[in-house]
Amino acid sequence: MGTVAERVEVVGALGALGERVAPVTMAHERTLPVAGVYAGLFAEGALVRGRVLSCAGSAATSLALGLVAPAIEAGAWLAVVDVPTVGLDAASELGVCLERIVGVDLGDRPAATWPDVVAAAADGFELMLTRVPAGVRPASARSVVTRLRQRGVVAIVLGDPGPLPCDGVIESADRVWEGLGDGFGHLRGRTVEVVASGRRIRGTRRGTVSFQGPPTGRGPLVGGHAPAPNRPAAAPDLVLAV
Amino acid sequence: MAGAHPARVVTVWLPDWPATAAGFDADAPAAVMHANRVVARTAAAAAEGVVIGQPRRQAQRRCPEIELVDHDPARDAREFESVVRSVGELSPRLDVVEPGWIGLAARGPSRYFGGDRALVERLTAQVGAVIGAGDRGAVGVGVADGRFASSIAARLAVRRHAPVVVEPGGSPAFCAPLPIGWLEALGESDPELVDLFARLGLRRLGDLADLPAADVIGRFSDPGLHAHRLASGADIRPPSTTDPAPERRLDRVLDDPVAHAAAVVFVAKQLADELAGALAAEGRVCTRLTVLLETEHGERSERSWFRSAGITAAAMVERVRWQLDGWVNLPRGSEQEITGGIALVRLTPDEVRADIGSQLGLWGGQSEADRRAGRAIARLTTLTTEAAVTVPVWNGGRLPADRYRWVPAAGVDLDQRARAVSRSATGSGPDGPWPGCLPSPSPATVYADAHPVEVLDADGGPVMVTGRGAVSARPATLRLLSGDEASGWRRGPPRAIKAWAGPWPVEEQWWEPGRQRRVARFQMVTDDEQGYLVVVEHRRWWISARYD
Repeated sequence: MGTVAERVEVVGALGALGERVAPVTMAHERTLPVAGVYAGLFAEGALVRGRVLSCAGSAATSLALGLVAPAIEAGAWLAVVDVPTVGLDAASELGVCLERIVGVDLGDRPAATWPDVVAAAADGFELMLTRVPAGVRPASARSVVTRLRQRGVVAIVLGDPGPLPCDGVIESADRVWEGLGDGFGHLRGRTVEVVASGRRIRGTRRGTVSFQGPPTGRGPLVGGHAPAPNRPAAAPDLVLAV
Repeated sequence: MAGAHPARVVTVWLPDWPATAAGFDADAPAAVMHANRVVARTAAAAAEGVVIGQPRRQAQRRCPEIELVDHDPARDAREFESVVRSVGELSPRLDVVEPGWIGLAARGPSRYFGGDRALVERLTAQVGAVIGAGDRGAVGVGVADGRFASSIAARLAVRRHAPVVVEPGGSPAFCAPLPIGWLEALGESDPELVDLFARLGLRRLGDLADLPAADVIGRFSDPGLHAHRLASGADIRPPSTTDPAPERRLDRVLDDPVAHAAAVVFVAKQLADELAGALAAEGRVCTRLTVLLETEHGERSERSWFRSAGITAAAMVERVRWQLDGWVNLPRGSEQEITGGIALVRLTPDEVRADIGSQLGLWGGQSEADRRAGRAIARLTTLTTEAAVTVPVWNGGRLPADRYRWVPAAGVDLDQRARAVSRSATGSGPDGPWPGCLPSPSPATVYADAHPVEVLDADGGPVMVTGRGAVSARPATLRLLSGDEASGWRRGPPRAIKAWAGPWPVEEQWWEPGRQRRVARFQMVTDDEQGYLVVVEHRRWWISARYD
């Protein structure tokens, strides 16, 4: 089977040569798209490949799903490692294509399995949503980050990142809950204040994201109404208030 | 090798094999489900109007007492082993296409047993005895020139309750009046192409066969030519099919025989990747693969597998797993029973053909990212377990935790994913079958195991919901509970409820005493700005999801 090995070698060498003689790496080759409403949170206006972001606060999961949705729509795959609680209805409403989501459960010894699973997933997925299990050693966390960087994976960590060094932290706090009264109405939307900061985010960037249900046609709970379509009926809007 | 006449082939077809493999009696209504759809059902269920491809609800509506189980391809393969062995007694050279479907060359055994009729009778009786089928309808055996015509004959044999023998040279006439949909039903052409043929007015295989081959290839390229060839009853192997050189054969001798199926599969995976990679480098794909497993005590299991669309590396591994599973689970005392660890794994490509792009759609098909993800899924499966790597499938329901289900990725065709997650694919149209589910936005964190809580009114008494769906008092405080009921709940800090709405009652499956549920849902926002979906059932409160 020498021919195959040779071929692989030749292709590898050609690839390396191509990288060496390429004039510049275009900025968009190193980024994944985000919805316009989130662009203001990053100096690059997009998700830079190889970054590890942490989402925290009261709207962490919604923000994480909203951040990855356009990239998934563009064809990237999302690995959901050890986040069995992710709400797929919400994901679908935020525009995530569910056919490109794969969930991985870590079994009985999450801290031991997590580094290997994340490293393996980094080979095949451009996006990752994960939690860092308690008890992961700092050394393995560092090697995981190196692997994610090498492979150009955008990893979003929910909850406490523990020993995992994060490039940016996106904090959220709710400001307004709409539609819910004191015993009447139903939740129609929420407005969240977002603060991005961290090592690779210059300064502190602020924004306001509002997650809304579809504007009309979603009557109260009296039966006969349609479930939400698989695509978002209304994209969240962001009003940048720097 | 490619002669002018297609080889004579016998096909043995066991309809609804997954249902038989699941151990269901033909007289009991039962069905095997995958992604919320019927993939196989027993004869009794079929008589009630349960059809393949039907959503769960519809099947239950047609036949309320139906028993449903999830599909398990490994079980199908395991149970099929006894059938393969029994057919193997008549002819050693057989191809397993999938569990429930075997093809074998007819010439030799037919001469030996005194003609096609005699062979077919014998096969029907023998396979029928193995699966314990009372009536002959449960086994379909057909003989014809060419694999395609033979496969159709076997399926028609099931409907006619008698074996179908197409006389030599009769395949074109046999195929001509049949509907064009057979191309799709047997997995030879993709649905879009067949649909296009139908819209062009080619409703029968004969209509397609009547067209000049040159015109068909000019308009539809290779997939069209393939369909044309099959429709004309000229199911010869395409000229590009070659018998590969023997050095293509890959084997691995394990110095340390392994007794763990997972380890054998791991070795097989390396071999399969190497083999598929080597073939792909030459632009070829394997259509027939022989898998040989040998133990340290010299017991062997050799099986040849056929797939007209080409066997990918993942499919090779799957077939090794099926074969191993079937072998390991043979009843004690049978011939070639496995007694030691596996010492040799050998993959031999028996038939390869030029890879003509495996009939992907013009706009669809796999992107590089899809292929990479597919490989990563396989790798993750070996790292964890098969059940740990999952993909979501739309399930339907009124509570957030019911609406999607995670199913093992190994058992899912990732090319067909869009259908499984799409809500409209449940067959009930865009309006959906779930009136009364909560309006969007949906909660982003959904707990599989709901968290117990305490909901108290302003005076510190528990809030209750009456049978008519009214709350006893305004809920004022929410307290998380931890621990369990036996050792007493530990109460978390109280949170004042800032805004709330509800109750929205759901009464599900009231017609089934064991599975009846009566719950009421509330949305609540606490003073620390957390939004919860809280449900109450039998006076106990749970947080079922969080607006995270």
